Amino acid sequence: MIKLNPAASITEEFAEKVRNENRNDRLMKLAPIFVLIALVMVFTATCGVSFISGGNLLNILNQMALPLVVALGLTFVIMLGSIDLSIDGTVGMAGSLFACLVLNSEFGTNLGLMGAVIAVGASMLCGLAVGLCHVYLKIPSFMASFAFMYICKGIGMVSYQGHPPTIQDPFIKALPTASFLGIPFITWVAIAMFALCYFIQERTAFGRHIYAVGTNESIPRSVGVSVERVKVGVFTLAGFLFGVAGVIGAIRLGQGQIAIGAGKMFPAQAAVVVGGTSLAGGKGGVTNTIVGVLIMTVLDNGLLVLGVNPNIRTGIQGVIILVSVILTVARGAKVISK
Amino acid sequence: MKKRLIAMLLSLSMVGLLLAGCGGNNDKPAADPKPADPAPSAPADPAPAAPSAPAGDIDYKNFTINPSQIPQEKLDTTLYLAVSIRGLENPYIATINDGMHMFAEYLDSIGQKYEMQVLDSQGDSAKEVDNMRQFAAKANGNAIAYSDPNEDAIAYSLAEAMAESGGYLGTAWNKPADVGPTDLNPNWVIHTSPDNVIGGYNIAKALFDSMGGKGKIFVCQGLLGNTAANDRYAGLQQALKEYPDIEVAADDTANWNTDEALALVETWLTQTPDVGGVWCANDNMATGALQALDAAGLKGKVGVVGIDANTDIVEAVRDGYATATVSSNGYLQGGYTLAICYAAWAGLINVEDLPAEFREFATPALLIDSPEAAESYLTTPPSFDFSQIYWCKAD
Repeated sequence: MIKLNPAASITEEFAEKVRNENRNDRLMKLAPIFVLIALVMVFTATCGVSFISGGNLLNILNQMALPLVVALGLTFVIMLGSIDLSIDGTVGMAGSLFACLVLNSEFGTNLGLMGAVIAVGASMLCGLAVGLCHVYLKIPSFMASFAFMYICKGIGMVSYQGHPPTIQDPFIKALPTASFLGIPFITWVAIAMFALCYFIQERTAFGRHIYAVGTNESIPRSVGVSVERVKVGVFTLAGFLFGVAGVIGAIRLGQGQIAIGAGKMFPAQAAVVVGGTSLAGGKGGVTNTIVGVLIMTVLDNGLLVLGVNPNIRTGIQGVIILVSVILTVARGAKVISK
Repeated sequence: MKKRLIAMLLSLSMVGLLLAGCGGNNDKPAADPKPADPAPSAPADPAPAAPSAPAGDIDYKNFTINPSQIPQEKLDTTLYLAVSIRGLENPYIATINDGMHMFAEYLDSIGQKYEMQVLDSQGDSAKEVDNMRQFAAKANGNAIAYSDPNEDAIAYSLAEAMAESGGYLGTAWNKPADVGPTDLNPNWVIHTSPDNVIGGYNIAKALFDSMGGKGKIFVCQGLLGNTAANDRYAGLQQALKEYPDIEVAADDTANWNTDEALALVETWLTQTPDVGGVWCANDNMATGALQALDAAGLKGKVGVVGIDANTDIVEAVRDGYATATVSSNGYLQGGYTLAICYAAWAGLINVEDLPAEFREFATPALLIDSPEAAESYLTTPPSFDFSQIYWCKAD
């Protein structure tokens, strides 16, 4: 509990309360970083050098690219206080479409990088459609995006008709091993997406509006911000990022299949929340998310390097995620988060 | 209001897009299609054995459909054919459907009237049983079907759903050990399954031989607790006993998944760069393993084996990047199951008289372990003589 000076005036009391809250906020912002550092230290201590060897750090960079891009898209949606369940479908669809459109083993197409643009575009359209359904048809984002998960899966399924296309374009085939400054190409793409999202969040009016809408819709509305447009924009942006993630996944696998998206939704959500973005909306941001994704990736990778028995690995992972959330989620809120 | 309209239109167009593309293809990611039951054992090798001893007074092993024995009345009746599956999401399941089409060509050749259908359960057991009941009722008894029960427990219910209207059903892969076709005469005609233990054993042996019998391997298991995953893993363990110089450097589950296998092998490779081979419980995971090896510059130097005969892995075997894979031969499973059910429906065989080993048996799996074998698998489309209905029996 915050101790207040009984003699202080209301103004002073309020100022002190704000100061206290700010201090708590700053501490909470650092908590995910502490969790990450603790995880790295524990794994280094138990696995020895093999965990922090250059090769394994490269693995972590490779393995975090796709989850990071997915989680970035989800971050904005969660900042609105909404949720997007379409991830498994949109990511898989974009990956499948991409592989179908570039030079591949199943179809005679060869659109090169145009294929990536079309695949991401399709995913963006789906994001837009989720946003429109949510905002104008007043369907809860949960339901609208859930439906689109199936729609997108369906489109992906139809695109390759049960015979997953293997990418044969020599340039795209070389991408998984390409690197610049020692960092893999696909990780650069993820970093570029992060920079883009950071810019949107910090430097644009749209970014500010996302926070405002997430905190309390009626305030931005009263000053003339179109809440509807902000929401549709966020879902479209998320669709774009899921599309990029799908393309990254297909490049990494060298093959397009719906399974690229399978099971990506909940880990992304966990990463966003572990990073400190509030499910209730209005708090957090993409910098939190990058830490959250690192925590999840390091955890995955570390347990693997450690060679934990596969039968208990999943369980351990759950326990650590729970502990991380307990350590990082801001408590003291007046309502139990939804 | 205008925006609302736009939103409606958009969502309608998405649905339209979906329907437009609906060539009958639905469904979900690549969970491995075939949890199997601990089935009778089968030899792994391709060609089904030559005729065995006649059973009773009829030589079922060599039983041949003689179209002239089928009454014209039967030929003029519309027979309903179906394969009941989880969805056409992966190449293996698609081959079962292809098998039905091949058998349909045979029906054309003998002048049988028929209609075909795919019963897609989307991984929902209750739905699969409902589908079967509706299908059988619609056909009014003139129905034959292949079914891959979504889980062991529903095998009997599926047969029962078929029996209500008097059709004939053959199941594959999954059923409880204590019930079988003989519990529901005559409608539950057969139950078959390729042998996963032998599949897992054969690819392991191929891998170990390619490594000269010694070295380190990685193991990518399927979904833990899944029967097919367990059986294939048991096959690996059997082979490991015979090759004491093979050391398992890492062993974990990638849940049948390509990208999980990629992450596993990628991580393991930094710890054990001198690995000699990767054993994967299915080809989806083998694809991921190959991709990880490629990234590490080891593709072609480290052997990879899987099961399912996905096209990309068969091609990898042909090109020398992968060592072996196993085809469960969905064409044969789908086509011959229907052929046997057809013989029952047409009155050519009496189901109740069939000896037990012709009601429950293993179907031959095909080991593809050399570039030549892969080449011929890829270039020669299988063709079957469906009049020899028990050609599909492995032993």
